[in-house]
Amino acid sequence: MSAGRVHRPETLEEATALLGELDDVMVYGGGTAIQILRKQGLLFTEDYVDIAGIPGLRDLTVTDDDITIGTLVPLRRVETDPRTRRLVPVAAAAYGQAANPRVRNTASAGGNIAHGDYRLDPPTALVVLDATVHLASAAGSREVAVREFFTDFQETDVRHGEMITAITVPRQPDGSRSSFVKMRSLSENDWPCASAAVLAVPEDGFVEIRMGLGAVAPTTVYLAFDVTPDMDEQQAVEAALDIADSVMDPIADIRGSASYKARLGRVAVEQAVRSSLKELSRD
Amino acid sequence: MNEITLDVNGTPHKVAVEDTTLLLDALRRRVGVTSAREGCGVGACGACTVLAEGRSVSSCLAVAVRYDGTPLTTADGLPEDDPVVSSFVDSDAMQCGYCIPGFVLMTKELLSENPSPNDEEVSDHLEGNICRCATYPEIIKAVRLAAKRSAT
Amino acid sequence: MTEVLPDAQPAGTRQAETEPRYGVGERRKRFDALGRVRGTIRYTGDEANPPGTAFVGVHRSTAPHARIVAVHTEDALAIEGVLAVVTGRDLHEVLGDRIYTGPAFADQPCLAVDKTRFVGEAIAAVLATDPDIARAAADEIAVEYEELPPVYDIDDALRGEAFVHEELRPSSVFADLAHLHGVRGTNVNYEYRQILGDAAAERERAATTVSATTWAPPTHHVPIELPSTSAWVDSGRLEMLSTTQTPSYVRQTVSDLLDIPLSRVRIMTRPLGGSFGCKMYDRLEPLAAALAWTTGRRVRIDATREDAFLLTTRHGARVTGSMSADADGNIVAVTSDVRYDTGAFADVGPRIAAKSGLVAPGPYRIAAVDVRSRCIYTNKVSAGPFRGFGVPQVTWSHETLIDELARELGEDPYRFRRRHLLREGDIATVGTKMHSADFLTCIDEVTKAVGWDDPTPRGDGRWVHGKGVAVGMKAVLTPTIANATLNLNQDGSATLLISTVDMGQGSDTIMSQIVGEVLCLDSRRIHVVRADTDATPYDTITAGSRSTYHTGNAVRLVAEAMRSKLLGFAAERWGVPADELVLDAQGVVHEAKELRDSLPDLVRAKFGARGATVTTAENFTSWWVPYDHDTGLSEKVTEHWFAGAAAVRLAVDTWTGRIRTQHLAIAGDVGRAINPTLVEQQLTGAAIMGIGHTLFDEMVFDQGQITNATMLDYQLPSIKDLPEKLTPVIVESAHRDGPFGAKGVGETTILPIAPAYAGAVRDACGVRITTLPLTPERVLNHLADAADPGKAGR
Repeated sequence: MSAGRVHRPETLEEATALLGELDDVMVYGGGTAIQILRKQGLLFTEDYVDIAGIPGLRDLTVTDDDITIGTLVPLRRVETDPRTRRLVPVAAAAYGQAANPRVRNTASAGGNIAHGDYRLDPPTALVVLDATVHLASAAGSREVAVREFFTDFQETDVRHGEMITAITVPRQPDGSRSSFVKMRSLSENDWPCASAAVLAVPEDGFVEIRMGLGAVAPTTVYLAFDVTPDMDEQQAVEAALDIADSVMDPIADIRGSASYKARLGRVAVEQAVRSSLKELSRD
Repeated sequence: MNEITLDVNGTPHKVAVEDTTLLLDALRRRVGVTSAREGCGVGACGACTVLAEGRSVSSCLAVAVRYDGTPLTTADGLPEDDPVVSSFVDSDAMQCGYCIPGFVLMTKELLSENPSPNDEEVSDHLEGNICRCATYPEIIKAVRLAAKRSAT
Repeated sequence: MTEVLPDAQPAGTRQAETEPRYGVGERRKRFDALGRVRGTIRYTGDEANPPGTAFVGVHRSTAPHARIVAVHTEDALAIEGVLAVVTGRDLHEVLGDRIYTGPAFADQPCLAVDKTRFVGEAIAAVLATDPDIARAAADEIAVEYEELPPVYDIDDALRGEAFVHEELRPSSVFADLAHLHGVRGTNVNYEYRQILGDAAAERERAATTVSATTWAPPTHHVPIELPSTSAWVDSGRLEMLSTTQTPSYVRQTVSDLLDIPLSRVRIMTRPLGGSFGCKMYDRLEPLAAALAWTTGRRVRIDATREDAFLLTTRHGARVTGSMSADADGNIVAVTSDVRYDTGAFADVGPRIAAKSGLVAPGPYRIAAVDVRSRCIYTNKVSAGPFRGFGVPQVTWSHETLIDELARELGEDPYRFRRRHLLREGDIATVGTKMHSADFLTCIDEVTKAVGWDDPTPRGDGRWVHGKGVAVGMKAVLTPTIANATLNLNQDGSATLLISTVDMGQGSDTIMSQIVGEVLCLDSRRIHVVRADTDATPYDTITAGSRSTYHTGNAVRLVAEAMRSKLLGFAAERWGVPADELVLDAQGVVHEAKELRDSLPDLVRAKFGARGATVTTAENFTSWWVPYDHDTGLSEKVTEHWFAGAAAVRLAVDTWTGRIRTQHLAIAGDVGRAINPTLVEQQLTGAAIMGIGHTLFDEMVFDQGQITNATMLDYQLPSIKDLPEKLTPVIVESAHRDGPFGAKGVGETTILPIAPAYAGAVRDACGVRITTLPLTPERVLNHLADAADPGKAGR
């Protein structure tokens, strides 16, 4: 790319000041999506705020309750870090399916969700885990539940002047089991045609099923319901499909018609729910 | 313009690049590297793969200024007796060869993380590299052989 | 699996060496294997750009069919670093109608002159000091169009309401197209007919007839190396370095375009980073030559991936066909109406329509055929050659038909084919006798490999299993011309000059193996010079799987001539008749007189100099009998045939429609494998490419515009798309005139893949799919239709 101005602030304050002052501006994190969109002639932003020089944004920190993923943490680190694999396996699984390993080395956790693409894998896990997105601006910082973060087709709750600084992901509840299923319609390394992250959380005889669906609606979708003690696996699956059906609104493209993507969405939901419940029953 | 140092295979190269100059263009046009190549421009084929501190990067999606001083490895920087290089040669893992340096570097990264990968782990790691000649059967053999050679 | 070959030891040689020679039949490595692995061999785009190089950016049409009213270049010219902007009209003023080039029709302007014919056609070129500036400036060019009614597909084209070209302009290359000159009011630029017997009457009488309309969509080659061409003028000569499979053709085109003698054109090549047919004929080369010649600058054009999708494609093709059997199950009639969508330019489409039309009935004993194969213009990106040269599209038809016919008759698809396949000495429907095309061994081997008669797993309710088989038949490009020049160096090494381009198939390696075999030299001591028209002799093209046979024969001949020459040197020196001498790995020997001389000593004695060279040159030209204009029949339509087969066992996910390949076996009759490793790579490589064409590989158009022209959206087989098991089988039915019995192999196994899969899907779940690719959604839709009696049908 030949055009474009790049600003390289060294502190968060400088960065948020720039983001507030400039009109047509984007945060440059890992940069993979920005480069692809620019090369495809879909992005004409003039100013970029390169946040690589700001300390602390690459940290992955673990507390008793949660994991905080700095905005610049590469997707591949979320996938491979032993702590994420142990504490939030559904996130490790979903992050490990995005693009390919090489792109995951560069693409950043913050940029991934800032992109707001409805097809992305990681957000499906973030919504089931009830993650929180940390945003900063010149006016201060705020937090948004990731379930509220994706507002519309390729739109997020990031406001002008704000940037993502981190994502906090609660540990998967004790005794819970999860599954991430990605369906493709073209080659085996293609974008998803539908994906589902499912977390099954047992509590007092009930099992709470939390589902994050990707690529089957204009945004990532979060759904949850309880499997009551009188329901068997088949009934749980049917309940999951019923509520999944109510939200599915896929976008037709070269990867399939809306009805086909909805069908794959159902298969993804069924597989992920069955797999999670089977894991639970094995415990 | 930014004056940066690209440390390619242990040799520092001082180069002037724009803020937005891609690492691939800097390596090819300023340093003279030819083993990293543009195939798709969007990170989907792996022909432009380089290693930065041992980690694979699509140099067609990376800006050069980010790699000022970072140790970079390109396939031509690997010695002839490197176990991955020799395994690809001995397995006839090439046809036109255009994509092969990318596969070699991905294999270097894989074996550094996982010295004895199973076939699924091999294909998980190489899935983002396209060999249009479809030399995949020989590439899989080469990775297995490289794992064996690296272990001894 | 391989028949015993006659003793291939050339006369006048004998086995005496102890060291390996890496000759014919050996699994020798590519000489540059290490360079390919470490990335140190140099491809075209790796050459440095001398100071003063002008980089070219191309402005492309946004209209599918329109008159060009005006091209505004001022904004582009105002950009710093822009050296010049050139339009089609500018070039036309200098070059006139010579600006229109093409292998069959002179219909491709390197820049559109007065009319644009597809979205993406080159309209104007920017020359700039930097490639990024050139591309950015190209975006600043504004074109005013007057829209014309577009012709988006073959149905539009045949309705004949709008015409892509006002009149047909056959080029001077093919005499049989001359009658089309000046024809107006049509989008059909070529039609091939094959008439054998009375197919309509036979069909009428037949006991059983099956019919199908098949569609194979346009696809793209997507070699990972992007096209790149540099051109410059040196002392009144046009010199060029380009990514091309056809240096000899390009030389002639540039000579014609610039109206200068062949001696003033030089085309150089490097190894290609893959091609598969897309770097052939008129791609970037006419534009580069015209720009260098008219501006005097050294120019370099590097296609981006998006540009590459706009340079050429594989033909989309629809075939409406039928196959009929009598009460005894004999095939009595085949009809086939083949329509190739060639896009805006004919390119080599007319040849594709003919060469594919002649095998459209399939490699079977058939009493009567009626084939009509047409090449049709539309307002889309131009289609050209692609591995298989149109034959995969007709194979998709005839193998669909015979599979359905077998099932209709309650017969096993393998054994039914086997019963009817052409045998050695049979006459194909086109009228040509079969030789060295062992379909029976091919189909026997692949079915054996996948355990054809083993029970098929029952499945689990979600997954269902099936098996399929298919064959493919293709004629080698004929007639063609190959030349070879060999320099034996005084030290006993050799330098071979040929114009074959190594694009991954390993031609440099096998050609040196042929020389080594004849001259009893270690083939690794033989260097093959990269095609450079100033040095290497004319060779028709590197395509159509013709090089092993044609160029290989020229190479064999030139090595044999060298052997004779060397024996002659020794005969003269020793005063003995040459026919008493033999050449072996130690040199020339007269056994009875116990005379022996090494090649270095012999050559040094002859010329009295170290480093001297001995040169021989030879030609090999194949011949044919042109097919009859009315019947399309010929007693020798081709020099030889390619015969291949595929068998597959797969599972279909009835929830998603996705196909999982459990075992794919492929076989090709290669005559003789000069290098079995390279042969296996061609067999498996073509098969995996065929899997892509079968399952997902497709160019998607919306109103004539490609909508998936990036490698994010245009999907190719990845390492994860491999069959769980893949078995290549080399079949060797030696060709009487092949070099050591050999024929080519690059296209053989791409032919039968799609129909083998579709047959297996039919076997697994009872649905016959006739539209490619077999995407999961398409499979699922067919399953749904089959389950719904109201929508039953195909």
